[in-house]
Amino acid sequence: MWLVAFAAVSYFGGSGAVVLPIAVGFALITTWWSYYSSDKLVIRMTGAQVLQESENPKLFGLVQEVCLASGLPMPKVAVVIDDAPNAFATGRNPEHALIAFTTGILDVMDRDELQGVVAHEMAHVANRDTLVSAVAATTAGAIAILSDMLMRMMWFGGRRDREGGSNPLLLVISLVVMLMAPIAAMLLKAAISRKRESLADATAVDFTRNPTGLRKALEILARDSTVVQQRSNAVAHIWIESPLDGKSVSRLFATHPPIEERIATLRRLEGNI
Amino acid sequence: MELLIILGVAAVLVLFLISQYNKLIRLNVAVDEAWAQIEVQLKRRSDLIPNLVETVKGYAAHESATFEKVVQARAAATSATAVPDVAAADGMLTQALRGLLAVAENYPDLKASANFLSLQEELATTENKVSFARQFYNDNVRALNVAIKTIPSSFFVGFAKVTEREFYEVEDPQERNAPKVQF
Repeated sequence: MWLVAFAAVSYFGGSGAVVLPIAVGFALITTWWSYYSSDKLVIRMTGAQVLQESENPKLFGLVQEVCLASGLPMPKVAVVIDDAPNAFATGRNPEHALIAFTTGILDVMDRDELQGVVAHEMAHVANRDTLVSAVAATTAGAIAILSDMLMRMMWFGGRRDREGGSNPLLLVISLVVMLMAPIAAMLLKAAISRKRESLADATAVDFTRNPTGLRKALEILARDSTVVQQRSNAVAHIWIESPLDGKSVSRLFATHPPIEERIATLRRLEGNI
Repeated sequence: MELLIILGVAAVLVLFLISQYNKLIRLNVAVDEAWAQIEVQLKRRSDLIPNLVETVKGYAAHESATFEKVVQARAAATSATAVPDVAAADGMLTQALRGLLAVAENYPDLKASANFLSLQEELATTENKVSFARQFYNDNVRALNVAIKTIPSSFFVGFAKVTEREFYEVEDPQERNAPKVQF
């Protein structure tokens, strides 16, 4: 990915050397900020309400169980008032973690299933997936900004710097590269997100040693067709089940592996334990 | 130049020694912490029991044999200190509590009472916490024992003054034997 970007840059010689650091710097600053204040930011974007232990002792009991199993510190626990069953985890490190559940998921799932969901979310915390997706977003963002800048330079200032008679073929290639780079970056981001979801399922089973609970939970999510009401693309990757309509998003751009595949993997684990 | 190389090698060696020593100490502390967690959870469960027994007694006063078992198991659990003793007492108490909950099944009024339901949920989560704390402890013991037995960390065992630790193994008769049927 970076090589592609670099190739595009080096075609423009000196001017590219200036653009690259600017693009990377800009992407770094914006993403770093959203990573650092991820818990507060996501609370605002999803309308989650942070709970006290007395408000839902049962849910807190479940979270404490998984904390004991994983050795992680106790995260903040929040609910999102929404009938669609779903959950997410965020926060820049385990000490600042926040896990949230929709009221829908708390209503439809029994103790074991919820435990699986809690374990999946705590697995995201343990694997530092907020950091991973921040790095992925920075890369994707930097590439997008970079190609955008280069496009503008090509239309406006670019031609003056070079001697006449530039190769039209090279021009076409660099144009294609610039168009493709952001798409490739998005694909990369989605692919990373899918891998991390599968990893979180595996880590969750490592915590609870009970693949059945998570498998049943995923089956409920698969059967359920309601989607989270405010389905912003920006926060799609953080939920346990993709909140976007499965059909409208192509598989390559999906932030989650198909839920049937995840269920099948857990079933295989049940056979082994 | 030679001096630099020697200094470099020495520095790397010292860093290696420190990292090995620290690894053993860290693993040992992790086991202690995990053990403390087990004790906290066992204590919490033990604190729940009088309340639970009182609640069940209110509805099923004549099931005294069951209460006796729970009270005895609780007393044994509070007095144990060594790992195998605590584990054995923990197993007995888990079983006695199961008996108590099985008795409660026969009393619909009891099962419907809000107090009993909240106690039951609390007991369920505490039982889970005990077993997760146990699992976490055993994982840590395994990591420490492996480090003590494998090269290169095994060379530093005497230096770091750590010893192999015991696993927390619960004898749960109900999981081993088929249930006896009595008429």
